[in-house]
Amino acid sequence: MILYQGELFPTEKQPELLSALEAHVNRTLAARPLSRETVVRAADALGARIAEGLFDDLLRRFAPGEEEKHKAAALPVMRREALEYRIRTELGDGPEAWDAAPPYGPERIRTERRPLGTLFHIAAGNVDGLPAFSVLEGLLTGNVNILKLPQADSGLTIEILRELIRLEPSLAEYIYVFDTPSSDAAGMRKMAALADGIVLWGGEEATRAVRALAPTGARLIEWGHRLGFAYISGYADREAELAALAAHVAETKQLLCSSCQTIYLDTDDPRAPHDFCREFLPILSDAVRSRPSADPGDAAQAALRAYCLRLEHAAGSRRGGRTVYAGDGCSLTVCPDRRLELSDMYGNLLVKALPVPYLLPVLRRAKGTLQTAALIAAPEKRRQLTELLLRAGVQRVMKAGDMSLSFCGEAHDGTYPLRQYTRFVHVEL
Amino acid sequence: MDHRHALFYWPDPYDVSGTEELFLAAVRENCLYESAHCPAYRRILADFGVKPEDLRRPEDLGRLPFLPTAFLKTHRLFSMPRWRMPILATSSGTSGKASEIGFDAGSLLNGLQMVLRVAAPRGLVSPQPCHYIVFGFRPHPSNRTAVAKTAFGYTCLTPAVSRTFALKRRDGRYVPDLDGVIRAILAQERSPFPTRFIGFPAYTYFTLERMRERGLRVRLPRGSKVMLGGGWKQFYREAVDKTALYRLIEDRWGIGEDEVIESYGAAEHPILYCDCPRHHFHVPVYSRVLIRDVHTLKPLPPGEVGLVNLITPMVRATPILSVMTDDLGVLHPADSCGCGIRSPYLEILGRVGMKNVQTCAAGAAELLTGAAGSPSPII
Repeated sequence: MILYQGELFPTEKQPELLSALEAHVNRTLAARPLSRETVVRAADALGARIAEGLFDDLLRRFAPGEEEKHKAAALPVMRREALEYRIRTELGDGPEAWDAAPPYGPERIRTERRPLGTLFHIAAGNVDGLPAFSVLEGLLTGNVNILKLPQADSGLTIEILRELIRLEPSLAEYIYVFDTPSSDAAGMRKMAALADGIVLWGGEEATRAVRALAPTGARLIEWGHRLGFAYISGYADREAELAALAAHVAETKQLLCSSCQTIYLDTDDPRAPHDFCREFLPILSDAVRSRPSADPGDAAQAALRAYCLRLEHAAGSRRGGRTVYAGDGCSLTVCPDRRLELSDMYGNLLVKALPVPYLLPVLRRAKGTLQTAALIAAPEKRRQLTELLLRAGVQRVMKAGDMSLSFCGEAHDGTYPLRQYTRFVHVEL
Repeated sequence: MDHRHALFYWPDPYDVSGTEELFLAAVRENCLYESAHCPAYRRILADFGVKPEDLRRPEDLGRLPFLPTAFLKTHRLFSMPRWRMPILATSSGTSGKASEIGFDAGSLLNGLQMVLRVAAPRGLVSPQPCHYIVFGFRPHPSNRTAVAKTAFGYTCLTPAVSRTFALKRRDGRYVPDLDGVIRAILAQERSPFPTRFIGFPAYTYFTLERMRERGLRVRLPRGSKVMLGGGWKQFYREAVDKTALYRLIEDRWGIGEDEVIESYGAAEHPILYCDCPRHHFHVPVYSRVLIRDVHTLKPLPPGEVGLVNLITPMVRATPILSVMTDDLGVLHPADSCGCGIRSPYLEILGRVGMKNVQTCAAGAAELLTGAAGSPSPII
């Protein structure tokens, strides 16, 4: 399905629509700019409708059993209060345009913050609705948005954006959504060719391709590509912290950038990871069991992952020296190495020993992929360890259960998205 | 005694209750063979504490460690040298990776018996020459998918007057040529020979839709048939309900619902499931189906929905005697169909893992390869 200027078209119409896209986008760029207030008003109205439950049927259809979760997630990103706070935090309180007489001339120069122009969003499929939020960020900064849906998109994105357009019809010419597959190089190239900025939510096969097809000079804005981990060095409240970590793993199924993949233990005793697994496995099993997936497909994937791990271990095809502790729909694997790596997800964690002196050196080897660390530590060590994690390149140091917590005005991978989607222009007066 | 041979030559392909003992004996024999010739499989059996001789009663089949298709896609398991496998087939690999299954000569000979026995009741084996329109690939040395091979195999059930392939090879890639297919259909309306359509339901549907858009309608000669198989693959979004598809086939091609035959199978479980006149997949004697709970993976009682685990002693070259598909399904008792076939039937309800989510964390892992050795500590 394609959403083009507020109208739905079947996928087959893509070539026809793409060939008219440049002219349409140019017409929009040439006309009056999009006012931020218009976008905020529409998003807020949409947020209100979602909160009132007008979308419950829709949410149930696209993400059965997760309506409340999605509603709760939508609020802090769609309501006026949140959006205005975000704009203030990200773009600052200062004026959008100002005149100045800089030292050494010229006499008068005007500086203005402007949209980049046209953004091409290549969205990831691991969070329902995320592609729509990416477009919303583009709208808030006044850009025309071309969105390539992820293959796994459930159809929710188009519904959200259609509703937004219904509430504010003037947004129609700022939103173009295509469901073209990443393998359609010609289609992708056409969309990219129109873009001033390419917003790439990592993790798709598109990542590699996009670099090749981005037009020279287009700003590449890459999100994602991150691995989360937990570092444990003593406890403030052992039972509560381990339960919170287990709950986080069960809830996110480790599918998010911020999800925990590896648990590091501050120890050089080779037996300690095994002792930890024996203690943590029942806690993790309970957490997974008490949150059964509403979607049988998700449940099956999780169960099969854990099962495949056991098979690989049994068949002897896994890298040597690993020990698998298998629980119900989850597992813990003790690894002899220290590398930060991706787990098998869906409740399957890696456990590694990493004494403090190795913490920074090991994390530096993964510097491009660092984002969130859950720090579980004795209170007296917390400050020093936080500092060390930040120096290693970690962006967020969170408490055990809050690894994937997001909040208004949060920086994304160390930077503010709205800033990335704008540019400063100068006009000599 | 070759129990496998006896099973595949059993006269009634749906005599599941009559072959209970024989099926178990054949699985036992197969398990013993794999255990002796495939070291990885032997280790898996040991880890699960299962010995081939433990397989005594039908419920013991559930104890056999199953290999998920996802596992077969990342692990190549063989129980004999390559020269003893006349065919090496790959699954179609919708999501990128494909499994590779070896077929020994014995499995192919037995497979031929199976195809003749299962396909005969639906009138598929006949001396009447036919035109074939294949909604799939033309076999090519670079394409070893089981789908291409079976589709081509089906065109040999009768003498073929012509073969038209919907997926054409152009610049090393496969591209659909639905217009070419439509031209062939229009020409075959005037032919004295019937037409048989074979392959993916998605392409069949797209062709019908295109004909409808253009207002094209043909009445193909009597005896024409549509054979659907291979699943909806990457077109799951457009999956239409079957009755709508049957109506469209009748409307555009003049082929009645009785002549639409659907099959089910996979490279990892190469047993031909052919639907009955009521479009149900009855379990043939060569196969047994276990439905497993999506959370615990334990076998479920009949009538409950779960993951479809398929068991067959057909192949020796690769240990695929018990394979877990990505399909969600349910097993219905034979008498709830009413077509007269005495074996239970399998209903496929959907596919898991179709979300095919590659997460940002997974993307990050790709970037992390390459940093070799261990960094030194800061003391």
